[in-house]
Amino acid sequence: MYPYLILFAAIAVAALFAAPKRHKVWVAAAIVVLLSAAAAAVAVEALCGRQEVVLAEFATGMFGAERLAVDRLSALFLLIIAVASVATVIYSKGYVEHYLERSSSAHIALHYTSLVTLVGSMMTVVMSSGGFSFLMSWELMTIASFLLILFEAERREVRRAALNYLVMMHIGFIFLVIGFVAVYSATGLASFGALSDYFSRHAPLPVVVVFIVGFGMKAGMFPMHVWLPEAHPAAPSHVSAIMSGVMIKTGIYGILRVAAEIESVQTLYVVGIIILFAGIVTGVWGVILAAVENDMKRLLAYSSIENIGVILIGMGIAYIGRAADNDLVAMCGMCGALLHAVNHSLFKTLLFFGAGNIYSKMHSTSLDKMGGLSRHMPVTALLMIVATVAICALPPLNGFVSELLIYLGMFNGVGEGREVLYSVAAIVALSLIGGVVVLAFTKLYGIVFLGSPRSTHVAETSEVDNCRIAAMALPAAMILAIGLLPQYAVRPVVEVAADTIGGDYAIAMAHFTPVLSTLSAIGISLLAVVALLYILKRRAQAGRTVSSSPTWGCGFTALNTRMQYTGESYSEGLENIATSLTQNRVDGRTIDKSEIFPSQHRYDVSHKDKIDRLFAAWWVEAMHRINVGVMRLRTGKINHYIMYALALLAAVMVLTLLNLL
Amino acid sequence: MGAKLLNTLLMLLVALTITGVINRTRAVLAGRKGLRFFQHVMDIGVLLRKGAVYSEVTGILFRIAPCVYLGASLMAFLFVPVADLDPLLSFHGDVVLVAYLLALSRVALILAAMDTGSSFEGMGASREALYGALIEPAIMLAMATLAMFCGYSSLADIFSTARSLDVNLTIVMLLLGYVFIKIMFVEAGRVPVDDPRTHLELTMVHEVMCLDFSGIDLAMIHIGGWLKNAVMAVIAADAVAVAFCFRWELAAPLAVVLAGLSVGITESLRARNKLARNTTYILTITAMSALVLFIGYLLLKNIEIV
Repeated sequence: MYPYLILFAAIAVAALFAAPKRHKVWVAAAIVVLLSAAAAAVAVEALCGRQEVVLAEFATGMFGAERLAVDRLSALFLLIIAVASVATVIYSKGYVEHYLERSSSAHIALHYTSLVTLVGSMMTVVMSSGGFSFLMSWELMTIASFLLILFEAERREVRRAALNYLVMMHIGFIFLVIGFVAVYSATGLASFGALSDYFSRHAPLPVVVVFIVGFGMKAGMFPMHVWLPEAHPAAPSHVSAIMSGVMIKTGIYGILRVAAEIESVQTLYVVGIIILFAGIVTGVWGVILAAVENDMKRLLAYSSIENIGVILIGMGIAYIGRAADNDLVAMCGMCGALLHAVNHSLFKTLLFFGAGNIYSKMHSTSLDKMGGLSRHMPVTALLMIVATVAICALPPLNGFVSELLIYLGMFNGVGEGREVLYSVAAIVALSLIGGVVVLAFTKLYGIVFLGSPRSTHVAETSEVDNCRIAAMALPAAMILAIGLLPQYAVRPVVEVAADTIGGDYAIAMAHFTPVLSTLSAIGISLLAVVALLYILKRRAQAGRTVSSSPTWGCGFTALNTRMQYTGESYSEGLENIATSLTQNRVDGRTIDKSEIFPSQHRYDVSHKDKIDRLFAAWWVEAMHRINVGVMRLRTGKINHYIMYALALLAAVMVLTLLNLL
Repeated sequence: MGAKLLNTLLMLLVALTITGVINRTRAVLAGRKGLRFFQHVMDIGVLLRKGAVYSEVTGILFRIAPCVYLGASLMAFLFVPVADLDPLLSFHGDVVLVAYLLALSRVALILAAMDTGSSFEGMGASREALYGALIEPAIMLAMATLAMFCGYSSLADIFSTARSLDVNLTIVMLLLGYVFIKIMFVEAGRVPVDDPRTHLELTMVHEVMCLDFSGIDLAMIHIGGWLKNAVMAVIAADAVAVAFCFRWELAAPLAVVLAGLSVGITESLRARNKLARNTTYILTITAMSALVLFIGYLLLKNIEIV
């Protein structure tokens, strides 16, 4: 197994470096498509067959025997990874083209090597049984994504964000190592399967919490989400897409794996409550910060945090339902959470691709420079409205289907009169998230694509190349398919959920099928009604005078485009309520009331996440000071270094003599 | 099938008459003679015969938005039962769909308003998005209370089991009716949250978003608005009717009277809120909704123990 793997990797890297600059993308695409096709084939086999597909078994030096195997849960995540990776690599062709002249061949090769590595490592992460191979893939995934973020390394903020990301991921990694080592020292195995053995003999909660923190770091769980809004604006758009759409889901995957091994009902109940409340806080926090954000990619990053929150809410409901022995609630919650993971990977990649299209034409991600782009980029605008409606969880698209399933679980819980208060808390949170996400994304879409241009750059934009459009059409088509035919799309998800949460496939399907087929009929008829109304309107207007004139300005005729509502003003109402979540930084000052003839003013307000302060507080300062102290030891003189080594040896010897080591 | 058609017909009647009752109530309280009862319907007839003027800034989205608004409202409208009648459409979990269809209609209008590039309409859109976000939990909490009592999550099932509710719980149903009427004030853009006559504060919320619509588009938005009103009004009336006599003969007129009188009287007797106070007002409705749920929860637990 190993030799083949290394050979394959070596050939792939060699091909990437050897290929001419312009054709590297095709090499990368070939590798990614190959990997994805293989992964999809294995995934389909695992989903259709009744048992898991074992790909490889091997011994590791550290944690004993491990294997790469695909069960249903892995299969679902493999499919998510496969689809998004193919779309990403196709998209990257158009996106990277602009950089071909400026960048060296090695630079582009490194970028594509990292991209291929990221795809491969994500696949092994979801296939690994745990322990060494898992941690190895996990680390590889971090390093690869770190290099991908560094694409425009000449920009200072990019380096900062990437470093920030690397540090945070390693803090998470340490938690995972602690978790696996704890399990290994107790059971002699470090796989996910060994967890159930561990849980039955030891107090499970500490280890579960350690794993939740470790995986939550990757997933962007509150308060460990701060790397997301920093990393995404820094990374190229297709990298943001695959990181936000897929990579953070590996965190969710990890939590699912760990929680699946919990057998004790009490523990599951507590874990369910922890995950539910983590989800509620993550979701509400993420969505409110998304709504006040004025940078396109930061807004999308916060919305990813919000969606992780929604997934966690679904999972929390599922575990609480399982603990209360309510099969239907458990299945509804889990199916909703898993389907939402699938859905989010589709619409978030689409949204980031759209943001990339705009960035490559406008060279900015600031909302307040946009406006009226739908005239210049009609296809992007059309694909983005699909993503916007989907992410707002509105019928008839896929976001609604997954949220409906989660709601069904909660309403079932409420209807049965058990664990009512948890369900109600989740209902309130989910509906608030649903409401605010509408605000956030009408803001994004409205400010960017509608109205009139807010800067002169807009007039120079044009539609992007077909490659990128094709890459965007793939997720868009799947969004429509899941949204309009949910009764078929949900089947594999229900099977996976039945495996994961230990529910019954037949009962759940019997419950879902009538709901989802009605929903599908309603979705299609909604589209039909809208189309019919539009056609009737056009017919009726055919013989009448239909004229155009300037937008009505309430009698004021000297309107200019600067008077439009900006992103900042659009979310001002929410900002006034959510002051406790954000920290505002104001540059310049407003016009004073006593100024009769106002002079020219500059006023710039930006919002920062209050949690950021946690990572810029005294302890960062303290660490910095310690670092400075330690740096004094680095004198650059070889005799000093020899002395340090000697001192260390002496210390070890003394400690051994005193029996302390 | 007959019951379903009757239900739809009744809903349609309710939708058409509420505005008439509101106008008449306001006229009577102001000592005016008032408009003809169906004047608003005739106005629509006029609008439907007109051409249109579109802003130069707008695109295709602006032209489709009214259709989405009307289509989504219409879909939501078909799920609501009038007391003991069956609605045309129904499935488990349709309470969620109804709430999200109303949200879809809102999104269509918000985006259309932003398409005009007008600062007024931007203001309206921003306010509508905020109020919509804040009222959503209130709707879902009220729906959750219904689901808790009846054990179902479709409006038809909820109200068909509601008539056998314990008498203690009917009090809570009355409170729920009150909450739904309050929600209707917000959703319909009525005083004290919004003012359809738009006496400035830069032309308020709902009306300002429709500034650039004309002709058939405007008619569609008006009709959609009536349908949305009817949805909330009939749900409120159903909740109240549970306490008395759960029959459509009572519930349908009750919906018209409840909605019409409460809006008419409120608009005649009080001024609208300052805009800055609206968020507090809406959050109070959410709090009220949560309170009703807790009262219901406590009562339900108590009954089980006895």
